[in-house]
Amino acid sequence: MSTFVELLLNGVSMGSVYALIALGFVVIFKATEVVNFAHASLLLAGGYVTAVLHDDIGFWPALLVGIAGAALVGAAIEFLVMRRYRGHDHSVLAIATIGVDILLVTDLTRRIGTDVLAVGDPWGDAVLEIGPLTIAHTRIAAFLAAGLLITAFLLAFRYTSWGVAMRAAAENAETAALMGIRLGRVSLGAWAVAGGLAAVAALFLTVFPTPGLERATSLAALKAFPAAILGGLDSTTGALVGGLVVGITESLATGYQSDLTFLGRGLGELAPYLVMVAILLVRPAGLFGTKELARV
Amino acid sequence: MSDVLTKPAPEAATPRTRKLPGPRVYVWLAGFVLLLVLPFYLERFWLQAGLFAMAAAIGAIGLNLLTGATGQLSMGHAFFLAVGAYGYCAFAGDGADGLTGLGLPTWLAAVLAVGLAGVAGGVFSPIAGRLRGAYLGIATLALIFIGQHVLFNAHDLTGGFNGRDVPPFSIFGLTFDDSELLVAAVPFGTAEKLWYLGLVLLLAGGLFARGVLRGRPGRAMNAIRDHQIAAGVMGVPVARYRAAVFVLSSMYAGLAGVLLALVFQRTVPEYFGMVLSLEYLAMIVIGGLGSVSGAVVGAVFVSLLPQILTRYSDSLPLVSEAGTGGVSPGEAAKYLYGAALVAVVLFLPGGLVRLAARRPKASSAQPSGTEGNDR
Amino acid sequence: MTTPRAHRSRRPHKATAAALAALLAIAGAAGCSSKAKDKDSGKAGAGGVKTDVGVTDKTIKLGVLTDMTGVYATLGKSVTQAQQLYVKQANAEGGICGRKLELVVRDHGYDPQKAVAGYSELEPDVLGFAQFIGSPFVAAVKQRITTDKALVLPQAWSASLLGSEYIRVLGSTYDIETINAIDFLMKEKGLKKGDKLGHVYFEGDYGENALAGSKYMAEQNGLTVVEQKIKPTDNDMTAQVAALKKAGVKAIVISAGPRQAASLVGVAAATGLTVPIIGNNSAYAPQLLGTQAAPALEKMYYISTPSLPIGDDAEGPSKLAADYAAAYPKDSLDNGVVAGWTAAETFGEALKRACEAKDLTREGVDKALLGIKDWNAGFGVHDFTDPSAPSSLESVIIKPDKAAKGGSSVVREAEISDAAKSFKR
Repeated sequence: MSTFVELLLNGVSMGSVYALIALGFVVIFKATEVVNFAHASLLLAGGYVTAVLHDDIGFWPALLVGIAGAALVGAAIEFLVMRRYRGHDHSVLAIATIGVDILLVTDLTRRIGTDVLAVGDPWGDAVLEIGPLTIAHTRIAAFLAAGLLITAFLLAFRYTSWGVAMRAAAENAETAALMGIRLGRVSLGAWAVAGGLAAVAALFLTVFPTPGLERATSLAALKAFPAAILGGLDSTTGALVGGLVVGITESLATGYQSDLTFLGRGLGELAPYLVMVAILLVRPAGLFGTKELARV
Repeated sequence: MSDVLTKPAPEAATPRTRKLPGPRVYVWLAGFVLLLVLPFYLERFWLQAGLFAMAAAIGAIGLNLLTGATGQLSMGHAFFLAVGAYGYCAFAGDGADGLTGLGLPTWLAAVLAVGLAGVAGGVFSPIAGRLRGAYLGIATLALIFIGQHVLFNAHDLTGGFNGRDVPPFSIFGLTFDDSELLVAAVPFGTAEKLWYLGLVLLLAGGLFARGVLRGRPGRAMNAIRDHQIAAGVMGVPVARYRAAVFVLSSMYAGLAGVLLALVFQRTVPEYFGMVLSLEYLAMIVIGGLGSVSGAVVGAVFVSLLPQILTRYSDSLPLVSEAGTGGVSPGEAAKYLYGAALVAVVLFLPGGLVRLAARRPKASSAQPSGTEGNDR
Repeated sequence: MTTPRAHRSRRPHKATAAALAALLAIAGAAGCSSKAKDKDSGKAGAGGVKTDVGVTDKTIKLGVLTDMTGVYATLGKSVTQAQQLYVKQANAEGGICGRKLELVVRDHGYDPQKAVAGYSELEPDVLGFAQFIGSPFVAAVKQRITTDKALVLPQAWSASLLGSEYIRVLGSTYDIETINAIDFLMKEKGLKKGDKLGHVYFEGDYGENALAGSKYMAEQNGLTVVEQKIKPTDNDMTAQVAALKKAGVKAIVISAGPRQAASLVGVAAATGLTVPIIGNNSAYAPQLLGTQAAPALEKMYYISTPSLPIGDDAEGPSKLAADYAAAYPKDSLDNGVVAGWTAAETFGEALKRACEAKDLTREGVDKALLGIKDWNAGFGVHDFTDPSAPSSLESVIIKPDKAAKGGSSVVREAEISDAAKSFKR
């Protein structure tokens, strides 16, 4: 039983980190209808800046610079690439983000080289013990930070003018533009927000129990795909739920892999995708996604 | 684009094809003859690179039918390549290596492997049929992960991490292996022999796809891409078309997989991962969405670029030889490939093939009739 | 509207024609050199030494197929630099057989297509391969290696590579290494019959070959193996530790990368699973000592390796460590350096012996290597007389050590366990 609870808690905390990534992903999709394959590079950029700077300026300032840096990278992608596209096909633009991702990830991994960069976080490998359960402080921090950010974001989305503009743009870009909403700013903001969220996620992906930032860290961004889709690509709540589902599924599938050997070992990576396919079969637009209404 | 408006009516296109062949045809013929003689001159490395490009081109044609012409984003192409490659091994293998093998004649195995890839596409199409746009793209990503899991875990069928040996293809008593065959004093090994097989397959695949795209189905597919509901209203059986294109595209991928397996002489599970799927998407975007020539050009570009850079890394500026620090050829290839992808999307909508079509005169920037039809 | 446009499109495409002409020219030029089938086998060169591919009177070319941009970048970089160092030193001493050594390096980034292409490209030009990373790729070209007869020293220790006289595995394979590791656990860390042993391993040749070793030991000694298969992309071992804890394991073997090992040890220590953990050679990198996992690693982690660590005081390691640090001051000293050096030195030794026999052909070098027995390259004793066995069954047990050069120190000297001797591959 305690194993189950431990796995569940681990899944929830990992899931909240995935939710951060997925949220950024969803925000970009909502504002621009583009599937962002460059999310991995945003993640890596944020983590890299934090890891490189923490020795000189301390952890918290480094984290802030990292978040700002990733936001800047996101905004730059929007400004230099997304905005320049003159076609209408969002799939093509999505494929362009693959190109952006290749460029950035190649450059960052070249810089990181073969190192494992510590981020210098204050939590270390301390754990909290509640009866038979042990939870790492980093995991509690991840959960709290993700919860806080997601709540703040949802509120901003609802009550600030930026949020209203964003929702309007997602609803109908043309009408929104006619109403005086500057679509360029909305999408710039979306990319910046996604970058910042990815940087925070990068932090929690590189602290204990992971040794530090290295070239493969960016692969965690892949977890955001099933998370964002199974929640519904245009739903922020969906991103949160999707992230948690992915985290928990992964944790349980790994922890109980000896009981699931008939499916082959090493299920952790696959399980979220199976859950995603199952959900899509029942709800083609994800759990919370809006069904597309088409005008002919 | 304004293609739709300027597209010639189908009746107008018919008389054109009855006229005498123009110079364009001779250029094509010359190119084809050149391809035929290459094995007599090129060393194995280049032939192999060319074969990788041919296999990629076949796969890319398939993906272009699905993603370029019909607008269905697929990230699962690598999965169907794997089905083709492993399917061929399983059908043709004789079981001597302890892995499942039916020991069928290799030509039959190749045909069946392509069919199997089609069946795999058919099995997935109920899911694919329900999903649209980005949802479909990411759902097909699941195929990659499922594929990798099966390839690594179904030892008896796939050989697990070690992969399995690919039985050499043979037809009409000719075996495509390293047993030397002297043709005009040039020794023909695997690469030389497969070169011709690859050419035949690519030509057949290309012509068939061209036929599909230029005919009624092609217009229906484009209609689905441009507006699915409008297409349905106009009487295009959308669901049936989407499923059929999915199956067809999977079969192309399966064929590419068989050819790749024959070139590799051993299937390796790592190869059929997500990176491969993304490469195929990059190919069709770089080459040109929706046309056969676009797929071929893109495939050649994406698969030859890293090979050329690695080969000539010594004489390239800014690129340092592997192991000396600085930008290695592998990294340089990735930079170029990423940059090319972004640049094509931004500055060359329509891909590299549009570059050729645009050349003649600035005022006639309109795509020529044929390309307009391909789109 | 349609007709004139169609007309225009049929104008000769000068650009295309020009491109084709250029291509033809290139093809023609290539035809002169490449397809001439004159394998000058058995030609006698300088000093009356027979040579064929990759050897001229002045140089000996060796191929290096490495991974410096893919998943094994860490290993590939160290191995390649160590080999370049060896070549530099050998050339400074006048080369081998009066000829300078030359490495031709190709980085395949762990991509099968590039690896196979790299082999096709280099094979016609080089005598043999001093490095080939990725056992699936070696397996992919195995047939061709057999016909080409070029000596290949893979930087992979999978037992599936054994059995060819042209592909020679240096040092113990993963299964042997794991057997020796468990032998250490049983003899010195209190693991006993009836206990459960956790094994966290990578999907793929490395992990699954190591698993074969632990299964053999379990069978021999009445242990139960609790398997946890992971992927190279898994960096967080929390769920694995929870599962192993639940199973009640008394020790853990990890056959994965350094990061996974660090995470596993860190989580185990933090959650009170204080059992000895031992990893294969590839499951440790000194870079880890700069991370937060360092204290836990020093406390409860061991590594089984085929050769002495680079930080050892013996003559071979200390000289190499000093030379390497001088040549590549920015790079860390890890076991990849030892592995690369050993491979280069082995190739060099084979070349020297082939030179004595006046036969620097591919077959001559293969034969020379087959005659090498009880030979110590400074890091361990090798025996190349049996192609079906790795060149050594020894493993040294080391542990992470911040104070030591190279980040590790020896716990148990090189030893061949009885089980390693009786193990049938």
